[in-house]
Amino acid sequence: MTDSRRSARRPGPGTVLWGSVALFAVLFALLTLQLSSGADPTLSGATAAAPVQVRKVIKRRIVTTIVPRPGTTSVSSGPVTSSTAEAPAEAVTTSAS
Amino acid sequence: MSEHDITFDAMGSHVRLLIGEPGTGLAPAAEAAERARRFIHGFDAALSRFKPESELCALNRDRRERVPASPLLRQAVSAGLAAAERSDGLVDPTLLGAIEDAGYTISRAGMSGMPLTEALAEAPPRHPAHPSPDQSWRRFEIDDAAGEIVRPAGLGFDTGGTGKGLAADLVAASLRGYSRFTVDCGGDIRIGGADALVHPYEVFVEHPLTGERAYVVRLGSGGVATSGLNVRIWRRADGRYSHHLLDPATGEPAWTGLVGATALADTALEAETLSKAALLSGPERARELFAERGGLIVHDGGRVELVGPLAAAPRIRIPADAGLAGVAR
Repeated sequence: MTDSRRSARRPGPGTVLWGSVALFAVLFALLTLQLSSGADPTLSGATAAAPVQVRKVIKRRIVTTIVPRPGTTSVSSGPVTSSTAEAPAEAVTTSAS
Repeated sequence: MSEHDITFDAMGSHVRLLIGEPGTGLAPAAEAAERARRFIHGFDAALSRFKPESELCALNRDRRERVPASPLLRQAVSAGLAAAERSDGLVDPTLLGAIEDAGYTISRAGMSGMPLTEALAEAPPRHPAHPSPDQSWRRFEIDDAAGEIVRPAGLGFDTGGTGKGLAADLVAASLRGYSRFTVDCGGDIRIGGADALVHPYEVFVEHPLTGERAYVVRLGSGGVATSGLNVRIWRRADGRYSHHLLDPATGEPAWTGLVGATALADTALEAETLSKAALLSGPERARELFAERGGLIVHDGGRVELVGPLAAAPRIRIPADAGLAGVAR
């Protein structure tokens, strides 16, 4: 009876205080490490590095050279690269021209 | 989601069209692309100042005050005047004589330019360009009822400052109803289509000094255009460097402290106008011009500065369906 009472005794206020401080310090250190490595947990849902999407692009590329008929005044053009793909091969670029 | 991708040369530049799925009753994307390609070549043939047989050259040679003009030429002149108005005369389409005096008399497409860094080292002190005091462009009038352009004989017009943006917008108008599309006329780009709002296009902004990617814009609709000194730069007979963006007040090449400017706007024409006006204005005014829609300026030393909404955009990757966003690279 006496032994079971002793084991159920609640910890003293000092133990609680120092236990809390220690737990806080450990959690704080872990969060600091995580933030400094660039993995902010509050951003993880929307902005974590998206997994690389591997797209299988089946692409048909036709290169046509249009040669104007002699004597015509219609406009001519250089080589035309024309293709249809499931996704654009590369982004467009804006630059001075 | 298939997309037709066509690339060809026109207007002294590379042109690229990306066209998605057609809406009900519309021609397949490949057919629309071919039609657009023909239109752009026709546009170039009619409006190039480097082709003596073009309607623009015929207008500039004509000694009459009132000159009959096709709807396309009237539209192009009208666009040039609108750009002058929008930029308070900085984007001046009547500097034809000055640009020819500066040595830009033939198309420089495909020609390797002089190194910009050398030109910058020898360039005069930097200062903003200013509108021409006589504002000659105000003497042009469009008489659509009569189908004529009215101006003093001998006053030349150059559509070069606005032509590519206008061409991109006109082609874009013909692509309404396609799921999404990009019209890129030599870096003057117009984007549209409902799907583009959900899956925006990535637009790379080229750095004028390094040629590398300075920034990436995700754009679901509207226009983006870049003006820069890195192309079309040459040495004059007297040894001085020259380029194609003139200070309207002096008729001399403008050295303003900026070597590149990229603007976002509702249309490609407006973006082109804003980018040229910003480059000609110098850094301080460029920030004001880009404050509303956003843009990017590149200083002489190569520093890239984001302006307006682009500067406020988070510098992190954002999910593709988030509309317009910037991604610094």
